[in-house]
Amino acid sequence: MSAILRAENLYHRVPTSEGTLTLLNNISLQLARGESLAITGASGSGKSTLLGLLAGLDKPSEGRIWLAGDEITAMDEEQRAAVRARCVGFVFQTFQLLPGLTAQENVMLPSELRGERNAAGRAAEFLARVGLEHRLGHYPRQLSGGEQQRVAIARAYCSIAGGASGNDGILFADEPTGSLDAGNGERIIDLMFQLNAESGTTLVLVTHEQRLAERCHSHLRLAAGEIETADLLSRDGGNLSEVSA
Amino acid sequence: MAATTPMLPLKLLGRDWRGGELALIATALVLAVACVTAIAHFSDRLTRAMHIQSQSFLAAERVVRSSKPVDKGWLEEARARGLQQAETVSFASMLSAGDQFQFAAVKAVSPGYPLVGHLEMRPAPDASRTVVRQGPPAREVWLEPRLLPLLNLDIGDSLQIGEAALTVSGLLDHEPDRSDNLFAMGARVLMNVADLPATNIIQPGSRVRYRYLFAGDDVALARYFDWLEPRLTEHQRVIDLREGQPRVASALDRAESFLFLAGSLAVLLASVAVGLASRRYSLRHTAYVAVMKSLGAGRAKVLQIYIGQLVALAFCATAAGLLIGSLVQAQAVTLMADFFPVDPPPSGWSPLLVGLATGFACAFGFALPPLFRLARTDPMQTLRRDWSNPDRREWLGLVLGPTSMLLLIWWLSGSLPITLALFAGMALLVGGSALVNLLLVRGRLASLGGPWRIALGSLQRRAAFNTLLIAAFGTGLLAMLSLVFARTTLIDEWRMQLPENAPNHFLINIAPHDVQGLQSLLDENGVQATELYPMVRGRLVAINGVPAKERKEQAGALRRELNLSWTENLAPDNRILAGKWWDEADEGVSVEVELAARLGLALGDRLRFSIGGLEVETHIASLRSLDWNSMRPNFYMLFAPGTLDDFPATYITSFYLPPERKLLVNDLVREFPSVSVIELDKIIQRIRETIDQVSLAIESVMALMLVAGVLVLISGVRASITERLQEAAIIRTLGGRRTLLLQSLVIEFGLLGIAAGLLAAIGAEATLAVLATRVFELPFTMHPLLWLLGPLAGALLVGVAGTLACRSSVSQPPLKVLRELA
Repeated sequence: MSAILRAENLYHRVPTSEGTLTLLNNISLQLARGESLAITGASGSGKSTLLGLLAGLDKPSEGRIWLAGDEITAMDEEQRAAVRARCVGFVFQTFQLLPGLTAQENVMLPSELRGERNAAGRAAEFLARVGLEHRLGHYPRQLSGGEQQRVAIARAYCSIAGGASGNDGILFADEPTGSLDAGNGERIIDLMFQLNAESGTTLVLVTHEQRLAERCHSHLRLAAGEIETADLLSRDGGNLSEVSA
Repeated sequence: MAATTPMLPLKLLGRDWRGGELALIATALVLAVACVTAIAHFSDRLTRAMHIQSQSFLAAERVVRSSKPVDKGWLEEARARGLQQAETVSFASMLSAGDQFQFAAVKAVSPGYPLVGHLEMRPAPDASRTVVRQGPPAREVWLEPRLLPLLNLDIGDSLQIGEAALTVSGLLDHEPDRSDNLFAMGARVLMNVADLPATNIIQPGSRVRYRYLFAGDDVALARYFDWLEPRLTEHQRVIDLREGQPRVASALDRAESFLFLAGSLAVLLASVAVGLASRRYSLRHTAYVAVMKSLGAGRAKVLQIYIGQLVALAFCATAAGLLIGSLVQAQAVTLMADFFPVDPPPSGWSPLLVGLATGFACAFGFALPPLFRLARTDPMQTLRRDWSNPDRREWLGLVLGPTSMLLLIWWLSGSLPITLALFAGMALLVGGSALVNLLLVRGRLASLGGPWRIALGSLQRRAAFNTLLIAAFGTGLLAMLSLVFARTTLIDEWRMQLPENAPNHFLINIAPHDVQGLQSLLDENGVQATELYPMVRGRLVAINGVPAKERKEQAGALRRELNLSWTENLAPDNRILAGKWWDEADEGVSVEVELAARLGLALGDRLRFSIGGLEVETHIASLRSLDWNSMRPNFYMLFAPGTLDDFPATYITSFYLPPERKLLVNDLVREFPSVSVIELDKIIQRIRETIDQVSLAIESVMALMLVAGVLVLISGVRASITERLQEAAIIRTLGGRRTLLLQSLVIEFGLLGIAAGLLAAIGAEATLAVLATRVFELPFTMHPLLWLLGPLAGALLVGVAGTLACRSSVSQPPLKVLRELA
């Protein structure tokens, strides 16, 4: 199976008043289509920074990243945005739903940004898949935390489904259960893995929860911006075997 | 990413509106446009009304004055061009009725007179005044009321003017162009021009003044006068308001400048309000944009969406603002209808254009730059959960906003001095804001502890934003202070020019033997007259031995006789600027300083005068300034006592006579028949009424502006409210007392208000200095009250508005505040 995500020798440094701070130090990884990767680590270990770089939200100080066949580190922000629009979906810890939009409108947004027709129908379909077909017209403030995260998941899959060709879609989730109680968290995880399996998308998630990490094919543990451990759980013999720490 | 559908910005706009976010910026835009449109409409209509009122001083829109009848072809040409036309013929004549005789100022008027304004007459002494739009019919005359007892006449009696016997059919109480000849002597008689030939008064050499009145479409009128003016001879002149009634013209000019200033300040305030609202909108939309970017929207896409929204919003808000502004001014004019002398005519299209330009200039000049910053939002912010705005200097914001504002103000005011004055005031304000803010945050007030520590800490955390806030508050206060003080300066100046008891009657041709008796009569009647000045007529014939006719300076003063006088005492409105006023033994002449400048005269120059065929030579002992508006006798040349003793003189004086004692003039005329009375009471009354109306207009526009200023202050407070509410709620959660928080809020906003007020006072003083010297042409004086009022008003307005806006942070449970903000 070919790699949908590949990173080579990533370094990320930021200037501070006390000198340059290295957030990521020589990270390499590779992930095949349809697989899932959990990134764990203590707070400040660089998990979210790595997630952002892999998704093309930012550029590393050094190193190269390929996402769905494109080298996104060679692209400017506009080009990376085009790649994200085509094959990336996001689920955030704090849901990041736009408060002025209804559940359906939030899910429609990626389709509308792409100028697609029938955005409303597609959004309704995805909301039905996450069990919120009765909440289309509700605003985020009228939904519980678990429901809001389900809307966010619907938006992420709607984003991938509309843009990605074949199974090029990749879902990035940043501590998706971080703002939820245990029961809701469990249901959200089940939902994500179920949708992932149904649509053949790739999943990269940042989490603190060991149980969640164990459900993924691969598990990368960061400490102080470096790979501490990398567990090889991949179905096809493990692309993470190429990880260099 | 595929192209976004063109409707997406509109769809998002609709959703945003529903969510309440856009209401902030839309409200600011609607208010800005409504405020500017209302002021522009109001100013336009007031200016038109004032012009109609002022044109009534001429009884026409334009007048040609001539000492001879003009070519009839000129008048036919005017009629052919669709202009209205009328004429008046004025002369002095002795009237008789039975055995009574009286010298009077007669005016014969043609049908159509007056073209602008109206006459007021009474068909009988005890009847009420009637407004009429034309003069008496043929064979009839209307008299000024005091002529009836002087000539022993009643309504219906016959009056002899020259060889014509005409019937007295009414009393004339008001004629619009009475000021046409201020020094016309005697009471007014109005007759029909058709009766003029029958009087047989006008003979070759008679002193007659012909006035040809014109009115009509502005363009046609302008074209006609372009055609006519090259044809005028040296005996004919075009009279407009500026020449006909300079005092009113000057008041109108200044009032117009004031209204333009008010309009410009409205634009300034509107810009600041929109700028603040846009900044807040952009801050609150950082999360939106970060999410959109993480979903694959690039910078161009974000800009496309937000600019699309802004265009749609600018259209809708501008349309709403134009409508509201027009309705508000219509309502204001209706409410104030009783105060206006004439119905303000509907305004043209220009106020709507001004409103439209304001809407788009504010939207794009001030709302666009924050959107450009918004489009730079880093998508990583979604992961960092940090919603601060990209903190980069935006050159576009620094250039676009102020440039569009200045261009708009320049266009609106048509005055570079006003534009530069405001720019100078604003530059002082912004520069000062940074400095004052620095002093505030570095000050040692925090060592006072308690609420001071919290307030100062809050100021320090928002140091950059506070500079903007002080500048915004300062702009609001600057606008309010500038207008209040400019209005006070103008109105005080007008009132000083025409005080309540300004002399309104002049007595001239007083023979030396009548001086004593006249003085006694005035004293007996409690009338306080100015000094009686002797007067001889003489011509300036040589300066330093050079004959006047050889001088390069061709001032009128060299071509005509001057009134020469002498006095021991310097009049209160005269001031010696060079040289010295004489002691007893001194000789010489004191020359009015502006005439001296025109003739190139200096102290010590020798002047030779020809008086009644004899010549007198003396030196210039002093140069004097004087106030021609004081309504007192004043002279270009004042001699040392004794110099002109050998020449026969008559005397002149002026005094104030209240309307209820008007008949004293009749006693004067009867007792001293050789004395001529010049009556200025009616024209002074009319000028005063006009200036009162202009003052009212200025005050009403100022009130509108004060409302706009307060709105800006509220916008400023709202722009920073969220963070403050959040901090206050956290402090309360940690056990902070309500009174502590309340005190810290009062201190924080109070300090911001004082800083803004102080800077506004500096800016307003600078603005007023430029306005006084360059626009209103008045001497500049400092305004100590401004320096007290600025900080005080700042502390009070900003302190109260800020504390009220944030009161929910202390009045509501902190959990509720935090939940609402989340």
